[in-house]
Amino acid sequence: MNDDRLRTAFAELREAETAHVPPFQSLWGRRGRRTYARWAFAVVLLVVVAVSIVPLVRRRPVEPSISTWHAPTDFLLQTPGRELLETVPDLKGNTP
Amino acid sequence: MQQEELEQLHPASYAWSLSCCRRDRLEAEEVLQDVYVKILEGKARFDGRSSLKTWLFAVIRRTAASRVRRRVVRDLLLAKWAREQVTAPAPQIDAERSEVAAILLAALQRLARRQREVLELVFYHDLTIEEAAVALNVSIGSARVHYQRGKKQLFAQLDGKLG
Repeated sequence: MNDDRLRTAFAELREAETAHVPPFQSLWGRRGRRTYARWAFAVVLLVVVAVSIVPLVRRRPVEPSISTWHAPTDFLLQTPGRELLETVPDLKGNTP
Repeated sequence: MQQEELEQLHPASYAWSLSCCRRDRLEAEEVLQDVYVKILEGKARFDGRSSLKTWLFAVIRRTAASRVRRRVVRDLLLAKWAREQVTAPAPQIDAERSEVAAILLAALQRLARRQREVLELVFYHDLTIEEAAVALNVSIGSARVHYQRGKKQLFAQLDGKLG
């Protein structure tokens, strides 16, 4: 075994491997498709994000009108026996 | 750098890409395509400090290595199932096409990576050891050591097999 024999063996390997080299243009030309694919992916991602965010923004509860608003502490005014104070006693009706 | 120059180097580039991708043809095509995209987008620029072929081979090797690193991380993340999907393919050589090539390839696979790379660059791609050192980003002394040790081991493996 010597360098020349090794070189010959490598030449055979090169011949066997480079028999099926893909055309240059098939790899060089793919650049455009890859770039477009990236842009398309970015656009789709933006649309998906927008579609998922818009309903969240719209679903915010509508603020109630001031005329219908009740304070959260209103229940403190509901004291026991309050209904007696809100009505006038009917003294005549109770006499026989 | 002209497109025609790259086109002329394309068969050699593909062969080197094959070598960097453990003879996986699909992976080699992907690597070469990534390299061409890097060149087109200006991410890889030839500065003229070495020959175009040496520079291109260095870019191919770096690109292949980074893809391997990404694949390792992906394998770790996707666990065993993914690992089984990306096991290293067997070298694709038509046995009937060249028995010598198949024997040589099998012997090369048993060498250390650096030794195999230096020998392939010198004997397969006709680079000098100095150019191989540049392509592999190692010192010339280191490339010489890999070359000598690799050749010695290769001779020992092939002795009697290739006649």
